[in-house]
Amino acid sequence: MDAATAPHRIPPEMPQYGEENHIFELMQNMLEQLLIHQPEDPIPFMIQHLHRDNDNVPRIVILGPPASGKTTIAMWLCKHLNSSLLTLENLILNEFSYTATEARRLYLQRKTVPSALLVQLIQERLAEEDCIKQGWILDGIPETREQALRIQTLGITPRHVIVLSAPDTVLIERNLGKRIDPQTGEIYHTTFDWPPESEIQNRLMVPEDISELETAQKLLEYHRNIVRVIPSYPKILKVISADQPCVDVFYQALTYVQSNHRTNAPFTPRVLLLGPVGSGKSLQAALLAQKYRLVNVCCGQLLKEAVADRTTFGELIQPFFEKEMAVPDSLLMKVLSQRLDQQDCIQKGWVLHGVPRDLDQAHLLNSLGYNPNRVFFLNVPFDSIMERLTLRRIDPVTGERYHLMYKPPPTMEIQARLLQNPKDAEEQVKLKMDLFYRNSADLEQLYGSAITLNGDQDPYTVFEYIESGIINPLPKKIP
Amino acid sequence: METSSRELQAAEYLEKHQIKELVSYLTSALLFFRPEKPKEYLISLLERLRIAKVTGVAFPFFMDNSNIVAMFEMMDSSGRGTISFVQYKEALKTLGLCTEDEDLQDDGHKITLDKFKEEVNKRMKEIWSAF
Repeated sequence: MDAATAPHRIPPEMPQYGEENHIFELMQNMLEQLLIHQPEDPIPFMIQHLHRDNDNVPRIVILGPPASGKTTIAMWLCKHLNSSLLTLENLILNEFSYTATEARRLYLQRKTVPSALLVQLIQERLAEEDCIKQGWILDGIPETREQALRIQTLGITPRHVIVLSAPDTVLIERNLGKRIDPQTGEIYHTTFDWPPESEIQNRLMVPEDISELETAQKLLEYHRNIVRVIPSYPKILKVISADQPCVDVFYQALTYVQSNHRTNAPFTPRVLLLGPVGSGKSLQAALLAQKYRLVNVCCGQLLKEAVADRTTFGELIQPFFEKEMAVPDSLLMKVLSQRLDQQDCIQKGWVLHGVPRDLDQAHLLNSLGYNPNRVFFLNVPFDSIMERLTLRRIDPVTGERYHLMYKPPPTMEIQARLLQNPKDAEEQVKLKMDLFYRNSADLEQLYGSAITLNGDQDPYTVFEYIESGIINPLPKKIP
Repeated sequence: METSSRELQAAEYLEKHQIKELVSYLTSALLFFRPEKPKEYLISLLERLRIAKVTGVAFPFFMDNSNIVAMFEMMDSSGRGTISFVQYKEALKTLGLCTEDEDLQDDGHKITLDKFKEEVNKRMKEIWSAF
């Protein structure tokens, strides 16, 4: 067994399994926890970690200047994600802890809690069951770099950090309209967020320290500190502008928090491009193949190559070509399997286009085990397609392809002798498009996690969208 | 770039408990057996390891005896019953049981199946005893 010289032939089921179950991320999380806590006995620790199964619970930090709406956003996120909210107020109000009583005393005296005590409180709170099981949201902590570093040394790492930002003038004005409901603790605003029920309206109190001067002072302090906190969370930070309606901010925050970060997991792209004829699938596939060294598998091309090479399959396919009938699915799948099973496809990944045309073909593909891990639908409106296809011409002498609008022929002489491919005639194009749209609804349902793109833009823009769709992890569906 | 003391400490911890080998083994087991529920499977593997460590029962190896015999037979293509020293060294390297520059003595005799089995088992046990 000369394993040193023969290359490793990894069966394709292994990377597929790894991707679907996020094995890499699982192991990475476990290793992170091991290194942070460095237990004497790693195996029971790992068993406990696996039992807890909390890799994907929300761990969010929300920072922002006063009057940016932090608490409101934090509360809404809490309700939506069903996690625990931690703020300075509710940490010191904890009645069961000695540290909390101490903190309360200091807070009443000096209006602030020393960092060491605060961080200890946080640590205690985060060790409780509900935070472990359902995640936590920290509102307004850490305020200073010292707090951020202390939290880090304890091994508490958030997965997402949101920083709200708005111009100072807006904030000062906004703060003047702040009102608090003493019963629920919710914050309302005289202009932007006035509660509908009159009983709440009557209850509302004006909080102290919202005068312009005080807000300006707090803002100065905030700006001084936040600059040193932001570098502590390099890759997980997102700045959201708070100078927009509350609902918009919330929506942006929610989508961010529910998205996963890019991981270092090994990933072989198996991309499927779907779309009507003329939507740009072949072009995008060629661009992808060139940039990422994927194998460009065009179904129509494969069949033509088989016929031209006169392989055994080619002989079987030729009669269908001659009669201009569609090649039967079984034959098609055999040709595809032959190509997709080759070593370079398995190792490098593939871009498939031209197939499946309908639900049956899609099911056949699945049963053979060729599951794409990224599916893209390219949407192009009918008029654009007509424009793109019916104006295609070819020069019979040089073989050069032209387009009367996008790449016109340079001289009149050439233009005079241009020919059009009969497949590009209007009726043919319409037929093919109808065929696609009849089946597209089924396909969209089958490939639930597909990404739909607007194909009606210049090719490089579409390519960038496709790239970001491949590189970023698939968005989680909001339940 | 200087490595900070925390980094060195972490590297030491990994070395001491052989975490890298453990994680590597767990990941390979997962990818090889592809269980429906990966977390449960991992938990069961770790439990077995823990019990094995405590009671000294046989470790859940990847390769059991039949695999070792099969490997030997693959290398011994002429069916003489022995493999050459070079083949033996390559096999150990493939299994991850010896390092590049480890100096195995070539005692002149060819390696028989029993010796091969013995050596593989011995090294596996060495690695596992560190967990």
